[in-house]
Amino acid sequence: MTIISPTMSHPQAENQGIEPAPASPPMRVAIVGAGRGGMALLDVLHQISRIQIVGITDQNPSAPGLTRAQELHVPVYDRVTDLITHQGLNLVIDVTGDPAMESVLREEVPAGADVVNGQTARLLWVLVQHESTLQTELLHAEKLAGIGSFAAGIAHDMNNPLQLILGLAENLTDETDLEAVHLQAHDIIEAVKRTTAICRDLTSYSRRASLRQDCLIGVGGKLDEALKIARYAVALQDIEIRKLYQPDVVVKGNPDELLHVFVNLITNAVQAMDHHGTLTLETHAMADATQIRVSDTGSGIAPELLGRIFEPFFTTKPPGKGTGLGLYNIKNVIHHMNGTIEVDSQIGRGSTFTLTFPGESGAGERATQS
Amino acid sequence: MSDFKSGFFVGGESCNGRVLVVDDEPDIRKVVRMTLQKAGYDVLEAENGEKAIETINYGENRLLLDVIICDIRMPKVNGIEAIAYFRQNYPRVPLIVLTGFPDTDMATALLRQGVVDYLVKPVEGEKLKASVARAMEQRELAHL
Repeated sequence: MTIISPTMSHPQAENQGIEPAPASPPMRVAIVGAGRGGMALLDVLHQISRIQIVGITDQNPSAPGLTRAQELHVPVYDRVTDLITHQGLNLVIDVTGDPAMESVLREEVPAGADVVNGQTARLLWVLVQHESTLQTELLHAEKLAGIGSFAAGIAHDMNNPLQLILGLAENLTDETDLEAVHLQAHDIIEAVKRTTAICRDLTSYSRRASLRQDCLIGVGGKLDEALKIARYAVALQDIEIRKLYQPDVVVKGNPDELLHVFVNLITNAVQAMDHHGTLTLETHAMADATQIRVSDTGSGIAPELLGRIFEPFFTTKPPGKGTGLGLYNIKNVIHHMNGTIEVDSQIGRGSTFTLTFPGESGAGERATQS
Repeated sequence: MSDFKSGFFVGGESCNGRVLVVDDEPDIRKVVRMTLQKAGYDVLEAENGEKAIETINYGENRLLLDVIICDIRMPKVNGIEAIAYFRQNYPRVPLIVLTGFPDTDMATALLRQGVVDYLVKPVEGEKLKASVARAMEQRELAHL
């Protein structure tokens, strides 16, 4: 969910004469079965503010959904009867596919709560999987669309070492001083290594986000990696970059997706500054949360647009310059990591995007980064 | 091979011409200097547009300068701004653009502005030398 900084007002709804919908209590849902299906439901429903997951249960204590529930701070119940007799429950979703469980639920679920099981629950799961697949594909498509904007940066960074290699090789065809030959051969080797590193960075970035399990990610290192990639899309030479990294700040998630989040935010920030200004990257480890801030001194975002910037296909960039999917995609990634994103912006002063994630203990547990 | 790189051009008729190379990549400046020095040119370097202007205005460089070779994508007074400055303030000095990113629209616009050649890296030594030689001919005509 987008949380807009309380300093910015939202006149949009009133201006359009639309009455904001009266706040209704969230739908209280219990999930029975924490295998792949239950875990998928948990992941998607947890992101929806109008749904509150009161608990999840499974006969198998090592079911993957139970671990995920703990990460999301969703209560885990050992006994199904304890969960389904929860007060104020609106809906029980049974994804076990077990006829015995159907009987139990029929008898034990209190009046006032509906039960979804069998083929209906299966349909729900299929829809959730479809939504999840769509989000992944959308993120990958947006990433690939962005790669095109890297063309200028890639050409520049590869053609420079190629010029050196060509010039030195041409000189070597009639160089007779052996020491000069050795030095120039060495320079050629170094230039090839530089070019290889560029190719490696780009192919690594453009591959589909890996399906490996979430791991602890060193945030400072990932921000620095994102700066290297962002250089291909936007010129950073005239940008002052301020890094305010606390040591050993980590978050848990998919490293490829987090890299994409940072590349997106940094690229947007530099574009907002029209290539002149100050980009500030901050990391903070607090008692129970981790915060990352990306700030720019650019044009800022108009108040009436702030509420829309995370919508899919919404963009203020000229045609061909932005898909409008960047912030939508990164919002989804952040929510999947059980985090939030806030934006604070003033016209003419700049914008600050603040990402907040659940706290993780850092040093000593960090996974090896590829 | 000499590693001559002082801040000013040598006067007199001892060389085929005096060239200023403007590029933020030291490797590019090095290899262009090597190629042109071998062909008998006196070469100075500048790492960006601002430094280029300083170098031109230093001592007698302004009078001695024959050709400028300039990249586009540079910090602090980027190439486009520098090129416009050079065309306005040193209109008789031929300008060659040497860029890592080919852009046809940009090339057309620059050639219309009076840039004498638009070269894309990596450029072969022979092409570079031929381009500088053509620019020197233009320079000769400008002196007449």
